[in-house]
Amino acid sequence: MTRTRTPGISRRSTLALMGAGAMTFAAPWVARAQAKTIKIGMPTILSGRVAQLGTSSRNAVMLEVEKVNAAGGLAGRQIEMVVRDSKGQPQEAARVARELVNTDGCELLLDGEASSGSFAVHEVARDLGVLCIHTCSEASSLTADPKQHIPNAFRCVRQGIHDSIVGGSYAAAISKAKGLKKWATCSPDYAYGRDTTGEFTLYLKRFAPDVEIISESWPKLFQPDYTEVVTKILQAKPQALYSCLWGGDLTSYIDQANIYAMFGQMEVFAVNMADYTALTVVKNLPKGIHSGNRYIKTFPTTPENAAWGDAYKAKYNEYPTNWSWQNATAVMFLAEAAKKANSADGKKLAEVLKGLTIKCPFGADGTVTMRGDDHTLVGYAIGWGTTIPQEPYVPEVKAGDWKTIFELEAEWKKSKGYT
Amino acid sequence: MTELEAGRARALVPVSSGAALQRYRDVLIAVIAFAVLASLPLFTGSKALLDFVIRCSAYGLFATSLNLLVGYTGLTSFGHGMFFGLGAYGFGLIMQKLGVPIPVAFVATLAITAVIAAIIGAICVRLKEIYFAFVTLAFQMLIHSTILSWASFTGGDQGLRGGIPRPTFLGINLANHIHLYVASCALLILGLLAMRQIAQSPFGYTLRMIRDNAARASFLGIDVWRAKLTVFVLAALFAAMGGMVMALFVSGAYPEFAYWTISGEAIFINMLGGVSTFLGPMVGTVLLLLLNDTVTRFTEYHGIVLGVVILFFALGLRKGLLDFVAEWFARRRKTGEGR
Repeated sequence: MTRTRTPGISRRSTLALMGAGAMTFAAPWVARAQAKTIKIGMPTILSGRVAQLGTSSRNAVMLEVEKVNAAGGLAGRQIEMVVRDSKGQPQEAARVARELVNTDGCELLLDGEASSGSFAVHEVARDLGVLCIHTCSEASSLTADPKQHIPNAFRCVRQGIHDSIVGGSYAAAISKAKGLKKWATCSPDYAYGRDTTGEFTLYLKRFAPDVEIISESWPKLFQPDYTEVVTKILQAKPQALYSCLWGGDLTSYIDQANIYAMFGQMEVFAVNMADYTALTVVKNLPKGIHSGNRYIKTFPTTPENAAWGDAYKAKYNEYPTNWSWQNATAVMFLAEAAKKANSADGKKLAEVLKGLTIKCPFGADGTVTMRGDDHTLVGYAIGWGTTIPQEPYVPEVKAGDWKTIFELEAEWKKSKGYT
Repeated sequence: MTELEAGRARALVPVSSGAALQRYRDVLIAVIAFAVLASLPLFTGSKALLDFVIRCSAYGLFATSLNLLVGYTGLTSFGHGMFFGLGAYGFGLIMQKLGVPIPVAFVATLAITAVIAAIIGAICVRLKEIYFAFVTLAFQMLIHSTILSWASFTGGDQGLRGGIPRPTFLGINLANHIHLYVASCALLILGLLAMRQIAQSPFGYTLRMIRDNAARASFLGIDVWRAKLTVFVLAALFAAMGGMVMALFVSGAYPEFAYWTISGEAIFINMLGGVSTFLGPMVGTVLLLLLNDTVTRFTEYHGIVLGVVILFFALGLRKGLLDFVAEWFARRRKTGEGR
C-alpha cells in the first residue's frame, strides 16, 4: 500500500496552527498570571477606643496604594489590600494575621497593631515566614531586642527611645535657660507610660544634672477623672511637668487641668500633644505647651509634607495621625524595594529592604532609612516645639539631631544587654 | 419505707448499670470524635480550619469548665478568665525561663493553678450569688493588675515576648502545625471526657443538689463548702488547660488573657450554647468563633451583630441553642408517645 499525500493542510501544519492558536488564547492568561494582583494583609484596630488611629492607618495605606497601583503596582502587580479588625486583642491579631496569609492568600503583612498585638503578629510572621512590616508599635524592644529579630520582619515606626533622647535634650536646654529644677511627671500607668517617662527623665538628668523629680503621678489608662492628679501636682509646686498621656486621656487631662489654671503655673512638656487627634479636640488649647512632633504637616517644613497632609485631608476630611505617616512610609518602602528587587516576592523584598534609603516627605532630610542591623526606621523627622491655640498649632519645631540619637541609642542598647 | 419510696429504690438499680453503660458510651464517643478530628488534616489542607479547631479547643475547655461552676453548681463566676490567663502565663513563663520539657511545664502549670485556685476558692465559695460573682471578678482584676505591674517578670502590657520554646517530646513537635493541632484535639477530648465523668459521677450529682438547694444538701450531711471548693479548683484546672492551648497557638501570653472580658466571653458562650446540657458550651464556642470570624471579615461593626445575636438568644429563645434543641426533641418525643 502506498501512502499518498492528500492535498490540504498537513498534520504538522494543523499541529502548528493549534499551537499558535493556543498561544494566542493563552497569552492574556499568562500575562494576567504574571501581573496578577498581590494581596497585602493588614490587621489593625478598627473598633474600640483607639479605632480612630487604626482607621487613619488604613486611610494612609489606601492613599499610598492608589499611587503605587496607578504607577504600575508592585513589580507590575496591582496591590489589593485586605484590612481586618483585631479589636486590639492580641489573640485576635494573631488569628486575623494567620487567616490573612493562610486563607486570603496575602503574600505580605502590614501590621497595624499597637503594643501586645504587634508582638503577637510578630510571632505569626516568625511562624509563617511571611514578610511583615510593623507600622504602629513604638515599643523599642520589638526591634532592639535581638531575641525578637527575624529576617522577615521590619518596623516602620518611630521609637520610644528616640523620642526620649530628643525630648530629654530639648527639655534640658529649656531647663537650663529658665532655671527649671523641680520637675513632676504624670503618665499612664502601664509599660509604655512607665518606660517612656523613665527614659525621658534619664536623658533630662543626663543633659541637666541638677534637675530633681519631686512628684510622680500614674493615672490609670483611660481614667475619666484627673482631679486628684491635678491637685497633687499643684500641691507639689513643680516648675515643670512631663507627661506622656495620649489621645483622649491627654485631651481630658488638659481640659480638666485648665479649670485649675495649671498651665500658667508651670512649663508643661507633653510628648504626644502635637498630633491633630489631640490638638483639634482640646477645648481651650493652652499656649506654650512643649510637645514632640507626632504628625504635623508643618514639620518637616517641606512642600512635600504639606502636600501629603493636604491630600490626606482632602480625601478623608480630617488630618492624618502619627500612625498615618508611618503606614504611608511602609507602603513607600515596599514600592521602592519592589522596584529595586524587580519582584514582589517577600524574601527578595526583605533582602532589599535591609539598609534601604528612600525619598520620603517625613524624613528629617527628605529621606528615611530602614536600618540594616535591627530592621528599624531611622532618619525620620523628629523634634519638639510649643503650641498655639490655632493652626498651624506648633509653628516652630526644633529638630532633633540624629547623630546624638544614634550615639545615645547605642549606649542604651548596651545598658539593656541588647548588644 | 413507703411503697412509693420502695418503687423508686427499685428503679435505681437499672440506673446505676445504665450509668456504667453511659460511661462506656461517653468513652466511645470521645474516641470517635478524636479519630474524626485527628484525621481532618488528611482530608483538608485548610490551615484556617485547623486554626479554628485549635481555638475551639482552647475556648471550649475554658467555657465548659465554667459550666461546671455555672450550670452544675450554680456558682456564677465573673472571674473565671483568671485561670485561663494563669494557664497561659504559667506555661509560657516556665517554658521561657526554665526550658523544661513540655509535659513537665504542663503539669507544673496545673499544680500552680490548683494551689492558687484553692486559695482564691477558699475565700470565694463561702459567698453566695452576686457576692461570689463580684469577689471572683475582684481576684481576676488583682491577677490582671499583677501581670501588668510586674513587667520585669511578665513583660507587662506587652505580654510574654520572644515566642514560647517548644522542644520535641516523645516525637511530638508542637512547632509543627499538624502536631499542635492533634495535641490540641487530644487535650480537648481528654478534658471534655474528664469533665463529663465529673458531671456524671456521684460528686456531679452532689453539685446539682447544691445548686438546687444547698441547705438541703447540708442537712443530708454533705460538706457544701468542700464540694464547692473542689469543683472550683477542678474547673480552674480545665480553664488553665485552655489557656495553655491558647498560649501555644499564639506563641505567647498577653494580659488580655486574664482580663475580665475573657470571662465575659465565656459567660456569653454559655448563654449561646446553653448550660443545661454538657455539650452546650462547646456548641456555644463553635457558634461564637464562627460568628466572630465571619462577621469581622465583613464589617468592623461586629459589636452590633453580636449584640443582636445576644438579644435573639436572650429574648427570642430565652435559653442556649443546645438547651432549645434538647427541649424541642423532648417535646417531640412526648407528643410521639402521646399518639
